[in-house]
Amino acid sequence: MSILEVSGIKKVYTGRFGGTRVEALKNVSFSVEQGEFIAIMGESGSGKTTLLNILAALDRPTSGSVILDGMDLSRIKESAIAQFRRDNLGFVFQEFNLLDTFTLEDNIFLPLVLSGTPYHEMQERLRPIAAKLGIPGLMKKYPYEVSGGQKQRAAVARAMITNPKLILADEPTGALDSRSSDELLRLFAEVNILGQTILMVTHSVKAASVAGRVLFIKDGEVFHQLYRGDASDSEFYQRIADTLTTLSTRGAEE
Amino acid sequence: MRAGYYPRLAFEGIRKNRRLYVPYILTCVGMVMMLYIISFLAEDVEKIGFRGSETLSIVPSLGTVVIAVFSCIFLFYTNSFLVRRRKKEFGLYNILGMGKRNLSIIIFYETLMIAAISLLAGLPLGILFSKLAELLLLNILRVEVNYEFFVSFRAILLTSEAFGAIFLLQLLNSVRQVRFSTAINLLHSENYGEKPSKLNWLFGAFGAILLGGAYYIAVSIKNPVSALAAFTVAVIMVIIGTYLVMISGSVMFCQLLKKWKSYYYRPNRFVSVSSMVYRMKRNGAGLASICILATMVLVTVSSTTSLYFGMEDSLYERYPREMDVDVSVYSVSDLNAERIEPIMEAIDGVNEKYGVVPENGFSYMTATVAGMVAGDEVETDSTQVNELDLSAGGLFQFYFVPLSEYNRVCGKSETLNPGEAMIYTPRAEYSPDRISFHGAGSFDIVKRLESFPTDGDAAASMAPPMVVVVPNLEDALGSLTQVALYTGDPLVTAKLVYDYDTGIDAEIQPEYSKAVGEALLGLEGDEYRVRYRTVSSREDDRQDFLGLYGGLFYLGIMLSAVFGFAAVLIIYYKQISEGYEDRSRFGIMRKVGMTDRDIRKSINSQLLTVFYLPLIFAGIHLLFAYPLIEKILTMLQLSNVGLFAAVTLICFAVFAVLYMLVYKITSNAYYNIVRGAKEERE
Repeated sequence: MSILEVSGIKKVYTGRFGGTRVEALKNVSFSVEQGEFIAIMGESGSGKTTLLNILAALDRPTSGSVILDGMDLSRIKESAIAQFRRDNLGFVFQEFNLLDTFTLEDNIFLPLVLSGTPYHEMQERLRPIAAKLGIPGLMKKYPYEVSGGQKQRAAVARAMITNPKLILADEPTGALDSRSSDELLRLFAEVNILGQTILMVTHSVKAASVAGRVLFIKDGEVFHQLYRGDASDSEFYQRIADTLTTLSTRGAEE
Repeated sequence: MRAGYYPRLAFEGIRKNRRLYVPYILTCVGMVMMLYIISFLAEDVEKIGFRGSETLSIVPSLGTVVIAVFSCIFLFYTNSFLVRRRKKEFGLYNILGMGKRNLSIIIFYETLMIAAISLLAGLPLGILFSKLAELLLLNILRVEVNYEFFVSFRAILLTSEAFGAIFLLQLLNSVRQVRFSTAINLLHSENYGEKPSKLNWLFGAFGAILLGGAYYIAVSIKNPVSALAAFTVAVIMVIIGTYLVMISGSVMFCQLLKKWKSYYYRPNRFVSVSSMVYRMKRNGAGLASICILATMVLVTVSSTTSLYFGMEDSLYERYPREMDVDVSVYSVSDLNAERIEPIMEAIDGVNEKYGVVPENGFSYMTATVAGMVAGDEVETDSTQVNELDLSAGGLFQFYFVPLSEYNRVCGKSETLNPGEAMIYTPRAEYSPDRISFHGAGSFDIVKRLESFPTDGDAAASMAPPMVVVVPNLEDALGSLTQVALYTGDPLVTAKLVYDYDTGIDAEIQPEYSKAVGEALLGLEGDEYRVRYRTVSSREDDRQDFLGLYGGLFYLGIMLSAVFGFAAVLIIYYKQISEGYEDRSRFGIMRKVGMTDRDIRKSINSQLLTVFYLPLIFAGIHLLFAYPLIEKILTMLQLSNVGLFAAVTLICFAVFAVLYMLVYKITSNAYYNIVRGAKEERE
């Protein structure tokens, strides 16, 4: 059963005086099945951030529809959108977006607190997640006291604690060193095996190679997609790299 | 680099941060204006030279010093907000290859621009409003005004010098801060949360002890003379104590709230409590500053207003009758009918000339001496007395009145045995049953009198008066009558007191009283054994009273305007700087799923948690200071104490309303900054 249905999305940015029109997304359609791990790849300016913002309900498409678990995002009222995001989506950002004012634990609790969850229930939910992410000893620390990898794991914990239907990750390894990146990607793979649907935007081949399927976006359209099938990470890595090479050379020919 | 480059960078820096700089520059302009006006008035008052102007001219001079010192402290405080905000920008310049020297040049130009704007705008505004300030002052003093206009170059010079120095100090301070931090430090200066100090509770306890001590001093002082010195000590203790208690209290309070899970983990409190913890010390310091300024405003306004409006009462207290004549004679033995006769004749002579028929008069002979009370002993030798000794009962001005005079003046027929006395203490308590004068007589107090017509001299005395009615003056004073002070004057002043109403027009009274003074002058000398005479009248002194109290009232208004303005600015800067810090945080929270309504609620919750604290503390300070201020006001001859209580209450209520209003408005500014994060992203 598909959890996310994206059909015919188009996004046009109009300049301040209606002069320049930039078409960020031309026509994007795809669907995500329950429990899938999808990576979206594309160069800078290909429209992948715009797409992610639309999926996250931070932005609205000019036309087309996004349906998450049967709910049409464009039908949700502006006032209800924050709550919708809180209940259904989990976010992992490139720059972590943890709050300096909170300990890691409180950062993770934030979405639950906003929904009015009682303290003991939050504690119960946190325990298995913190253990899985290997950060139970850091809960009382502040973000500026831990490493980048630890921050990102806390951010993943924050994304997971609401049991979201979909985790959206925006270049999650972008600010991490290679060892921390590897750990984080392994973590994503493990979480995905337990049934969590993940959609990750990246331009790192390494990151994309742990996903089950890779969508390539170019000039505002889904240009190509690759399924992992039975391939190992390194085989898949090779295929993704080849595809990217083809994409860029063909782009150069045009 | 080209010459115009630095000024342009500096100007851009100010322009980009205008939300911070505009209020700062306005403050500078306002302070410059105030200082000019106040020093202008000092010169102006001298020039006009009306009655009471000598008394008054001290008031603006005092104000000049207070405003200059306060401007310096306050501008430093607000400047620290600016520097903290700008550090990030400077860090970036530093990384991009600007040296500390270049940064210092930018800061130099910035300071120069601000200084130029402040003086160029502040001085003309000051000159413009100085006439208005003068009119207001003269109106309060009920002096006739002229409509000449002049510019005081002395005031311009003084203001420019004072602010030149202040800006120079600020420049040095900003440069120091940039010099001693690394680029990375500069870049991340806003990101680190505050750590509670391990010695927090110690600071808190120390602060509480200071406050307790200050309160104790304020409440336990019995005598207004020692109060003035103690007041200064108490004020300093209260200021330090408030800072310590507020800072450590805010730290403790925040941590307590955080530990209380079911309170902390609620949508509207979660964010507000955590950001309070994040900057708990700064928060405490800000609240303490607001609290102290609030207390200053309340004390200044309520005391000066009561003095001004209680002036008529005080004047009647000082002058129970229109005329107050005091004639000192050589010694106690000269207090007899034979010596008094020529004095009365001299006055009668003047009366005839002016057609005065004395009414409601009273006259009596008295011997007066100041003495320090300890237990039931009185020491009159001032070299034996430590005036700052707070535990002592305090200083009294004793008026010995023979029983015969008391019975005559009050129409009574009391009797006293040798060694017995009756006392009258209108302004201070004396509880022992005995009173024993060192080097003179001792008395059992057989009666405490309900009333006695004390004259103006007793009312004007700083020390509370005590009338001691004794069977016989010379027996009572014993050897004290022989003691001379180092000035050659006798320790005990023997005098005739004569107070009466004249029944003539108020305008003629000053002339009349002058004539009486001249008539009595002729009696001074060995022949009539008159040492000196003091003749004063209510009408005569009214202008002096106006000069002093009107001046104090005016200064009170000016100073509270400055303090109040400062308090508003501190609140504003607190909100603005926190808004900028919280801006990115609310951006993140919005991404995680916080609605604008949640943000509003969380801001309100923060407001409600800390909003009342400075006000409550200011109220407590005021409550404890009340008895002390009341005593000082009594010393300044405020007799209507009920008026002071009412004025204080009204001031507090008005202040609370204004404070609430300011908080509401500034919290809107905060909200707008925080919400700006959303617009920026899109």
